[in-house]
Amino acid sequence: MTALLETRGITQRFSGLVANSDVSISVGRGEIVGLIGPNGAGKSTLFNLIAGVYTPSEGSIWFDGEDVTRLSPAARCRRGIGRTFQVVKSFESMSVIDNVIVGALVRTTVMREARRKAHEVLEFTGLGARAPVLASDLVPAEKRRLEVARALATEPKLLLLDEVLTGLTPTEAQTGVELVRRVRDTGVTVLMVEHVMEIVMPLVDRAIVLDLGKVLVEGKPTEVVRDPKVITAYLGDRHAVGA
Amino acid sequence: MTAETIIQSLASGLLMGLLYGLIAVGLALIFGLMDVVNFAHGEFLMSAMYATFFLFAFFSLDPLLSAPLVAAALFIFGALVYLFVVRFAVRAKANTGMVQIFSTFGLAIMMRGLAQFFFTPDYRSISHSWLGGKTISVAGIFLPEPQLVGALVAIAAFIGLYFFIHRTDFGRALEATREDAGAVALVGIDKNRVFALGWGLGAGLVGLAGAIMAVFFYIYPDVGASFALIAYVTVALGGFGSVFGAFAGGIIVGLVEATTAMILPPSLKSVGVYAVYLLVVFIRPRGLFGSM
Amino acid sequence: MDKDFNNRRRRELITAALFAALAAVVPLFVKDVYIQNIMVLTLMYAALSQAWNILSGYCGQISLGHALYFGLGAYTTALLFMKFGVLPWFGMLAGGVISAAIAMALGYPCFRLGGHYFSIATIVIAEIALVLFQNWDWAGAALGIDIPIRHDSWITFQFTRSKLPYFYFALVLACVAWLVTWWLEDSKWGYWWRAVKDNPSAAESLGVDVFNSKMGAAAVSAFLTAIGGSFYAQFVSYIDPESVMGFQFSLLMALPAVLGGIGTLWGPVLGAVILIPLTELTRSYIGGSGRGVDLIVYGLLIVLISLARPQGLVGLFSRPNPKKVVSR
Repeated sequence: MTALLETRGITQRFSGLVANSDVSISVGRGEIVGLIGPNGAGKSTLFNLIAGVYTPSEGSIWFDGEDVTRLSPAARCRRGIGRTFQVVKSFESMSVIDNVIVGALVRTTVMREARRKAHEVLEFTGLGARAPVLASDLVPAEKRRLEVARALATEPKLLLLDEVLTGLTPTEAQTGVELVRRVRDTGVTVLMVEHVMEIVMPLVDRAIVLDLGKVLVEGKPTEVVRDPKVITAYLGDRHAVGA
Repeated sequence: MTAETIIQSLASGLLMGLLYGLIAVGLALIFGLMDVVNFAHGEFLMSAMYATFFLFAFFSLDPLLSAPLVAAALFIFGALVYLFVVRFAVRAKANTGMVQIFSTFGLAIMMRGLAQFFFTPDYRSISHSWLGGKTISVAGIFLPEPQLVGALVAIAAFIGLYFFIHRTDFGRALEATREDAGAVALVGIDKNRVFALGWGLGAGLVGLAGAIMAVFFYIYPDVGASFALIAYVTVALGGFGSVFGAFAGGIIVGLVEATTAMILPPSLKSVGVYAVYLLVVFIRPRGLFGSM
Repeated sequence: MDKDFNNRRRRELITAALFAALAAVVPLFVKDVYIQNIMVLTLMYAALSQAWNILSGYCGQISLGHALYFGLGAYTTALLFMKFGVLPWFGMLAGGVISAAIAMALGYPCFRLGGHYFSIATIVIAEIALVLFQNWDWAGAALGIDIPIRHDSWITFQFTRSKLPYFYFALVLACVAWLVTWWLEDSKWGYWWRAVKDNPSAAESLGVDVFNSKMGAAAVSAFLTAIGGSFYAQFVSYIDPESVMGFQFSLLMALPAVLGGIGTLWGPVLGAVILIPLTELTRSYIGGSGRGVDLIVYGLLIVLISLARPQGLVGLFSRPNPKKVVSR
């Protein structure tokens, strides 16, 4: 069976700086895949490339058997790629439920349907009680959940999570992990960028490690963590300059 | 139209452009500092012109001498405007953009009303100033002296501003606050003082321009409006957030205006400037040197 | 919660109907022509500001050159009537369609611009149009167009003896603008616009077509504004570039929405009801001397309101903050 997402030889340059170099990864249906690596490894760039924010300098991106390299983020969302943002981008002037309705409107133009769907998603992500609250009044952990809820409302096949577990308290992080598992249980494939190793490694089926824009290693989390190349990449990064 | 007249027009355009740059740089400074477009900028100019006029009328002070005084007065006025009006506008949690636009717009209307009230709508002009009405010949081109001095003052002001921003402590505080207003408090910089002084500086610069322009323009309550739009276009053309951009923008606007006046009837001269603005931003959505 | 939502929507409609009914009977009691005039203008500005609010309030694209569409509406109606004998009713539609088309055509280059660049582009475009009309002899150039009133008639939409027909038309226009806004608020467009306003990149990631959203908002906004312009041409029977396309006018269209509450359903109406009578009255009673006192008062008011209540006056009438309410 073909992978849900495939990047083929992705190279991304920003005025001379090479952020990603010949990156070829694939994500299978129903997997939870972790994308990890030290700062400056090119994780965010790869993420944004998959989401459609940038068009790659070289290479192609295939989603569900289709070449989506030239598609806009909105078009990719319609095809089934949903994403959250590392720096939360809620619609601050709108209520929680309205935020989610925006996502639901991709699949239906009937308002009643969209509202119903939004309520469902809010319940699923544990924000049901906060529905009428203004997004700007939420605490950071709730805003993260709202990001996920909004993306889920678009009924994605693949959900790209950008550091959703970073900076949370242990309890919040556990709730987050539970949520990701439940998301996968509904049939959504997950690709997540993360820093917090202890939390992510037990969660993902497979880990892909990036370093200096290239794929370093990939495989089961337990193997990847013990790989000497990975250890060097992280330890060595302590002495590296810049990000 | 001979080559001579063309050069003549362009030269005048350049001089006027430098003055536009002087007017615009105050606006650019304020915007770069705190992301606020001062919609009362034209009225700042108008007040400077009136101040110059009255110093001339009552004390026979030539504009060249009163220019520093007027600039200083506008400096104080600008700081006060920040402290009593704008400071509250930027505190607004909702619709900050609109609040800024309309609070300074309201101020502009008030100032125009005050000018009308105190000075009547009559047109004033300064009759006998040292530079007024005189021209000087530079390499065979006849340049009006007020505009020439104005342009030189503008250049001097720019150089002064450059050194001020890059070499003095306050100037560096200004730049730091520009980059991250929230963080500067951590190093002991009082944001409000910086903003107030930034407004003062911006107002002072336009005050300088106003003092010079009072020599060769009619002075009336609504005079600011005609220059305000040119100032906004100049800043936007150069790119919001760029002081150098305002300077460059001013020169471009002055030249374009002069060129347009040669080709089209005089009533259409601003159309050229507007068209160039649109052309530039359609190609470079952030203006020529803009960073925001 | 769905029930609450539907109740709120119904309440809004009923409130609007009540206000409209109230407004409809007022002229029967108020016969003073001067006051009737103020009422007509109030309703017109309510409609115009509501239209402006669609693009600039909901969709967040702050236009400071909306007088362009107002002027286009006014001129289309006037020119079609004076030069070709086309009835104002058709002229109004033509003006609306032309304005919507131009709004979309301008949208192509302009919607790529951010914030202040966009706003200044709108000012500049309106100014160019103003200058062009001032120099266009066929359209009357700077002298404008005088629409002679022959006899009272709904067909030619001209009335001399009474302001009432104009009043009722303006009332209908204000109601239509309000209804369009009300309907759009709970529609895909309404949600898309607010998403685009708050965070365009997040909106994109959720499948929102940002560019088309802006185009849609611009078209609807321009169309309604142009109808207002056509109405104005018939109401005052004389138009010139300065009065219908000037920058001051663009600001005047935005002001009621800003003071009442930008991006809200009732904001423009509330703002118009407070601001227009205030403006007219201060101008008449204080401004008569020509000494600018009316401007001082007017300006001061704008400063005070925009500073004291940036979210607009409509916030004074809103429900308690849901954060503090446990269940609704």
